Amino acid sequence: MKRIRIYLAVIFIMGVVVTQQLAGGQKHTGSRALLTFDHFYDGPAVIEALETLHRAYPRLTEIGTIGRSEEGRDIWLLTIGNPDTGKDTEKPGIYIDGSIHGNEIQATEVCLYLAWYLLDSYDTVPLVHEIVDSRTFYIVPIVNVDSRARFFTDAGGYNIGRTARVTHDDDRDGLVDEDDYDDLDGDGEILEMRVRDPFGRWRSHPDDPRVMVRVKPGEKGEWRRLGREGLDNDGDGRLNEDIPGYLDMNRNYGYKWQPRYVQRGAGDFPMSGKVTKAVADFVASKPNICFNFAFHNSGGMILRGPGSKLSDIYPQTDVAVYDFLGKEGEKIVPGYRYLIGYKDMYTTHGDFDEFMYGCLGIYGFVGELFMSSQEQYRKPGEGKEPTEEERRAYFGGTPPEEKQKFNDIVNQGRMFKSWEKFDHPQFGEVEIGGWRTFTTRIPPLFMMPEMLHRNASLVIFTARHAPVVSLEAVEVKRLDDGLHRVRVRVSNPNAIPSLSSRALQKQITRKDILKIEGKGIEIVSGAIVEDPLLERIRPVEHRPSMIFTHVPSFGARMVQWIVRGTGEVKVTYNSVKAKNRTLKLKL
Amino acid sequence: MKASRLHRTVTALLFCACLVSAAYAGADRDRAPARYHSPGRDRSSARYHSPAEVEDALKRMAKGHRGTAAISSIAETPGGRPVHLLEIGPGDAAVPAILVVANMGGDCPIATEAALRLSELLLGEWADDAKERRWYIVPLGNPDGHRRFFTSPLDECFVNAHPVNDDNDDATDEDGPEDLNGDSYITRMRQRHPEGAWLPVADNPVLMKRADAGKGEIGLYRLFTEGIDNDGDGRLNEDGAGGVNPGRNFPHGFEHYTETGGPWAASEAESRAILRFAFDHPEIAMVLVFGRTNNLKKVPESSRKAEAAAEKYKVPERMAKRFGLDPETEYPLKELVAIARDVTGYRELTEDMVLIFLGVGAAVNPDRRDLPYWNEASKRYNVFLEEVGLDGKRLEPPASPPGSIEEWAYFQYGTPAFSIDFWTLPVKEKKKESAEGPTPDEIEKMSNEEFIELGSDRIDAIIKASGAPGPFTAEQVIKALESGMITTAKIAGFIRKAEKKEEAGGADETDAALYDFDTNAFVVWEGYDHPTLGEVEIGGKVPYAQLAPPAAAVESLIVRQLPFVRKLAAMLPRIAVERVEVERVAAGVWRVDAWVGNKGFFPYPTYQGERCKRPTPVAVTIEGKGIEVMEGRKRLVTGLLEGSGGSHKVSWLVRGDEGVTVKISAQSFGAGSDERAVSLKGGGA
Repeated sequence: MKRIRIYLAVIFIMGVVVTQQLAGGQKHTGSRALLTFDHFYDGPAVIEALETLHRAYPRLTEIGTIGRSEEGRDIWLLTIGNPDTGKDTEKPGIYIDGSIHGNEIQATEVCLYLAWYLLDSYDTVPLVHEIVDSRTFYIVPIVNVDSRARFFTDAGGYNIGRTARVTHDDDRDGLVDEDDYDDLDGDGEILEMRVRDPFGRWRSHPDDPRVMVRVKPGEKGEWRRLGREGLDNDGDGRLNEDIPGYLDMNRNYGYKWQPRYVQRGAGDFPMSGKVTKAVADFVASKPNICFNFAFHNSGGMILRGPGSKLSDIYPQTDVAVYDFLGKEGEKIVPGYRYLIGYKDMYTTHGDFDEFMYGCLGIYGFVGELFMSSQEQYRKPGEGKEPTEEERRAYFGGTPPEEKQKFNDIVNQGRMFKSWEKFDHPQFGEVEIGGWRTFTTRIPPLFMMPEMLHRNASLVIFTARHAPVVSLEAVEVKRLDDGLHRVRVRVSNPNAIPSLSSRALQKQITRKDILKIEGKGIEIVSGAIVEDPLLERIRPVEHRPSMIFTHVPSFGARMVQWIVRGTGEVKVTYNSVKAKNRTLKLKL
Repeated sequence: MKASRLHRTVTALLFCACLVSAAYAGADRDRAPARYHSPGRDRSSARYHSPAEVEDALKRMAKGHRGTAAISSIAETPGGRPVHLLEIGPGDAAVPAILVVANMGGDCPIATEAALRLSELLLGEWADDAKERRWYIVPLGNPDGHRRFFTSPLDECFVNAHPVNDDNDDATDEDGPEDLNGDSYITRMRQRHPEGAWLPVADNPVLMKRADAGKGEIGLYRLFTEGIDNDGDGRLNEDGAGGVNPGRNFPHGFEHYTETGGPWAASEAESRAILRFAFDHPEIAMVLVFGRTNNLKKVPESSRKAEAAAEKYKVPERMAKRFGLDPETEYPLKELVAIARDVTGYRELTEDMVLIFLGVGAAVNPDRRDLPYWNEASKRYNVFLEEVGLDGKRLEPPASPPGSIEEWAYFQYGTPAFSIDFWTLPVKEKKKESAEGPTPDEIEKMSNEEFIELGSDRIDAIIKASGAPGPFTAEQVIKALESGMITTAKIAGFIRKAEKKEEAGGADETDAALYDFDTNAFVVWEGYDHPTLGEVEIGGKVPYAQLAPPAAAVESLIVRQLPFVRKLAAMLPRIAVERVEVERVAAGVWRVDAWVGNKGFFPYPTYQGERCKRPTPVAVTIEGKGIEVMEGRKRLVTGLLEGSGGSHKVSWLVRGDEGVTVKISAQSFGAGSDERAVSLKGGGA
């Protein structure tokens, strides 16, 4: 009995330790973690997790919904910030979301992990405390609530469930969504079908018959690949060509949106989907947002726009901000590459990050989580880096025969369902098998914690670089005739300016306002001091008490006023994105 | 007794007043500027309908025609006004439909009148036109904008009430114009100033023109909109009430960062509602737009740089390498699809997927295969105008603005889409002295290459003769032509404009035409002591004078032109199973051939519709008791059916007993349905 008790205690302690490790390995003592990351959170579990966090940190969190999906699911929002340091919109906002593509599920775990980590560390880690106090985090852990929920409940596969559940006649035959995949063998997954065919273009790999390789010219084929499990339900000679959807939310946003014949999945018009409209309305209602992260899988990338050549050119000052954060990001998440959408990947129109930057002037990254190249079975340093072609072909790089070894030996074979014969009602004897649903784009669970923590750290690093503007008096100089010259400086030690150059150039967001006022004080003139040493001064012709400006990346702006009168003057800095500041000066 | 009579009289008067005011101004309680809305001036009761009156009129029509007409509100504007849609058609029957949208830009009151009149006609004299098709009519696409036509002071501002911080400062909508001289119009202010770039027109000093430094003219005046600098930022009237113009908010050719286009396409309740409605109603086979543009009078030029319209494409280098192609060669799209299917092994790869990977943009020109139909429709329209006596010389309607509904309807919705303006200012016919060199008409007919072949000397002469500003050289023009930046049509237009300017003593063509039309359309400049500018003069063009004809002229203009709408409706595609042949192939085995044809004028879908995958083409099915389809599909979709007799052959090999009846059906959303039954019998092997 005693022995059993000790045994149980040991198990419990081990459990705590393991959990803590899975939870990011930050704590060495203390209570059980509020959220654990030893599993994937399905639809209801995500809501439960948000409620759990809110119950544990009611002061620092707010939970609510921003709209409903096509299938009537709520789109949840978690706001993290300290109300004692000001209303959410008074502080720079960071918007983070995940799983705009319903099959890219671990993006949601990054959102939850980030939320949990910020809250859990609030009292113990000074840097986190400071960031939570001085910024607002808006987190939408699941954008594509319908398809992500179905990823857990419906028969599917790692590539199934990308789009919104908006009905669309993909094959343009007048019937809608009539040729979906079918789980023929009833195993709860839509895997691959192949049929024996001497004229097929594939044959089994000599070392591992589960793997198929392309036949070389002159070689005899063995297999014809038929694509994903299913029937030609509508008898039109095409297989699975009219699945539910197809509206790709990340092609439905409103910056340089292009119609379906230019951009697959675009939807009927910008923000024609319910969720994209809800998210767009939400982000537009929070002008304090200065940066956004949208998490996806996979490939290990920190992506930025332009998404296409149609995009307006990114001003160099903005590119510098992106480059700084992106290149640091490559170090925070080793292996991930900082890339430019249209140039390094392929052209896309109507993506969310381009909408944020193009329409709202907000910087943003797409985080493509997980590289399959991490699924290795080799000694460190052995093997070669995958080529670009291989990365594309194998979702990041591990050749399939090595991935099978990783599957067999490191994952005990749970990743791949071996080919099994099946009597297909239309094609006769086929074989069904392949990489299972929670693989390929999704890491095995044991690889999750580091992925979660490093990507959350990338967000926190970026949040650190949200504009924090300080306002200081440089000079209060007495001139003749009861006049004073007042010079103040606003400065920002961080990478993200108080306004992006895009927002400035295209007049998307109003500029920051520096204002001076005082009882009985007359404002004689106001000017922007471009260079105090060379006395380069740009006067403001009208309303000199109010000067419109912005505070650049890692930089400062100086302004001056000539005022008449004595006593106290108040200088205020008012910004849409950065926190407002006030300064009182004696003349 | 006396008191009670007085009471009765007062009550009656009050009642009358209520009736009058309700009928006159509707619920908007508009204060109508006299010029357009006073019955006195026109000596008739003709007047324009305010948004509230439009609503009343529609409600009356719907109430009077239960079963054939119904009214619904498809959106609420930022100003809290409904956008109404009137449906006229044969009850619940599934018939093709025509969508009519009027005054989307809020700047064309006559368009709303035309749509209301069309509705009345369809519910009256033209009831037959609503028996086999349905009409969806939005008489007022931009009620917020149109509302300003009934507001004093009158101001040409057509945006909705969506608050926009135009000057990007600390306040929104804080600096609109003011009617300083109290004439109930927002006109212009001119101030003598060294920075002035404007001059009075020599022989008509009420008109202003921009000084041409190239001709030694020195500007005298600065021009402003009438008003004060409410926010003290040194700029006048730069942030008025609202807003966005929903007529520039549609997703084809939408431009970001414009003054009134909106932050993104479909950002506005009005445009979204129409988009949503259109996509929810696949039976819409044609879109008619009543507004300021007219793409029937003149078919849009087809010289804009097109990409998705091309049939051959170069493959980007990286992809070319992967596919073993030459990046310098242009490949037919079909071939590229075949190659991509082969390389990827993905059989369901479609043309549009390949186009996406090629990074090909949207079409910008009407598909050349749609143009014969469009040109013919245009020809018929111009003949029609001649017949009804409306072919007099008048100002060219403006080209479609970016994000217009009519361009969206053709390019993204894929149906025939026509826009009709009902009026522009008449232009006095003037004898043209024959100048040297080609006329604008001749230039327009030339290809870019032919024009370049004229040689730099002649091109220089043409440029000089056209009075082009600045140091424009033949070389620059040739370069621009070669790069596709400009076209001969553009050059012709430029020369025409210059010629017109010359004729009018340098006055703007529209100003000159307006002055000829109505000298009262200009307020004579009069001095005014402005609070910040000091001495100015207020005067200039009366708002809406060039946009809205006198109310008394409206009825005649629209009843004469609306019959063409009927003609267009009669040109809709109409499918029929035209012929079915049965041939015995072997015992109990038959070949069935069917021809599905299009008896209408327009193709179904249009070629652009084929590209943008709308609408669904005709679906053909075969049914019969106990038959088995051995070859062919039981249900299949035809491709595009050419207009005016185009046909598509469908063949099946079926097994069935002799004498069995086989039914061939053709179905479509927007071109009707038809079926034909035959027996399995006949000759052959």
